[in-house]
Amino acid sequence: MTIKKSESAIKVLIVDDDNDVLNLLETWLIGEKFNVIRSLSGIEALNLVSIHEPDLVITDLYMEGMDGMALLTELHNDNPLLPVIMLSGQAQIPDAIKAMHLGTSAFLTKPINQTEFLDTVKRVTPSFINKSLLNEVAKNIIYKSKEMSDIIEMASLVADNDVSVFISGPTGSGKEVIAKAIHEASSRRNHRFIAVNCGAIPEQLLESELFGHEKGAFTGANVKHEGLFQAANGGTILLDEIGDMPLALQVKLLRVLQDFEVRPVGSTKTYPIDVRLISATHKNLEEAVEKGEFRQDLYYRLKVVPLDIPTLANRPDDIPLLAEHFLAKYAKNNKQEYKKFSPDAMKYLVSMSWPGNVRQLMNVIDLCATLSKNKTIPLSLVKKAVHDDPIHIQTLKEAKQAFERGYLLSVLRITHGHVANAAKVAGRNRTEFYKLLNQYNIEPAAFRDKKNLEKEVNSLD
Amino acid sequence: MSDQKIIIQVDPDLEDLIPGFLENRTIDLDKLRTHLELNDFTNVQSIGHSLKGVGGGYGFMLMSELGAEIESAAKVKDANKIREKIDQLDDYLQRIEIEYA
Repeated sequence: MTIKKSESAIKVLIVDDDNDVLNLLETWLIGEKFNVIRSLSGIEALNLVSIHEPDLVITDLYMEGMDGMALLTELHNDNPLLPVIMLSGQAQIPDAIKAMHLGTSAFLTKPINQTEFLDTVKRVTPSFINKSLLNEVAKNIIYKSKEMSDIIEMASLVADNDVSVFISGPTGSGKEVIAKAIHEASSRRNHRFIAVNCGAIPEQLLESELFGHEKGAFTGANVKHEGLFQAANGGTILLDEIGDMPLALQVKLLRVLQDFEVRPVGSTKTYPIDVRLISATHKNLEEAVEKGEFRQDLYYRLKVVPLDIPTLANRPDDIPLLAEHFLAKYAKNNKQEYKKFSPDAMKYLVSMSWPGNVRQLMNVIDLCATLSKNKTIPLSLVKKAVHDDPIHIQTLKEAKQAFERGYLLSVLRITHGHVANAAKVAGRNRTEFYKLLNQYNIEPAAFRDKKNLEKEVNSLD
Repeated sequence: MSDQKIIIQVDPDLEDLIPGFLENRTIDLDKLRTHLELNDFTNVQSIGHSLKGVGGGYGFMLMSELGAEIESAAKVKDANKIREKIDQLDDYLQRIEIEYA
């Protein structure tokens, strides 16, 4: 990746209906060797973009005719990665939030400070990228392949604005790892990252989990419950397996994305939210749209910037690095000496097809590290481990148990650990419900305390 | 109002722009007075808004502050306050002396 190209090649389009503002910004930008194109209106700016293909657009928010928000929407219809800085004479927070959600890279209030302005321009211009952002995204991801480099580069381009990112890729390929890396590199890093597996939460509970509910919203809802969107306020929410979201809830999610507010179940009030949404799936959502199983409008809203994570087999260069990383992690976690693979064992690992991707590789390596009595792990042991753990698919019993445990946790979270209410929601009597809790070693008291509640949410994620 | 000069330090890179910029502010003053006479608070508010946005960037912080006050007063149609702020702006524009440094 070219991190920096000649500054003089960077083209900036500035749009404002006040000539004195254009003069000022142009002088500052030329002083930093940018090429400047200027426009007095949004409509003219759109034409200039198609002619000059600028690297950055800086626009005023309030203008006659097409305003900055409409211009931003038009620009991102054609190129969602084009950075746009919005200027406004009024520091109105709803405008700033809306602009950020529409994909603005930065929002500056007039009168503009020269240093802040130029720092912001340099921060959001891809040609300056933002090596620090790239490093920030890449720091927790193990890779050296071209395929992953492209993904990381794209992720770093979108990390610091709120443009919707849609991560697709097979099971075990690391979709959540990428989503978390984007969050950690963004200005939202000091707020929460919450990952929700839409497929693991029963349909009836998913709405309440995401948007919350009011006291008395349904049988057993004796306490008001804050949803995960509100819990993630200021941060990032990952809706994993978005393809499993029921159609009725898709409509509600679309409304949340349009209005930036949530309405808890049973409430007449709405609550503003400032959350970055990342969605992920292993399914082919285009097919689901064609079959009418997924709303097309929501699909386009989510898939502004698609990141398609390759299978592990398609990036064999990364396997030795990942293998060494997992071995080191195993040694550290188990306070054991660091083991390594024999050359032929490593060759075998690299040649495998890995249908379960990185997650399967990690399981196999853990198994090898556990079984190996020697410092060097031989080929025979790797073959045995791969055979014993072909894809690590759960048995039907394991899958049922995982679902049942997830269901019980969800119900207890919503009822804040009130067992009688939870039993009512689940349609069981209290005795049966207690038996189930004992079976899964779940302690309802843990859900009566907020800190524990958060811990459980994370453990479910 | 005092006759004492107000020294404004401006970036030398902006030297070519300043005469035109100040000429536009004199035009703004005339427009503000005309709009105020006609009770056209919408246009008064709009000029106040743009003064607020542009003044500080060139180094004229008081101009931005007066622009903001004109904008706020126009929102509530406070003609006396607007008149007072227009006079202050006029006085300010007459007394400023630019130093390019």
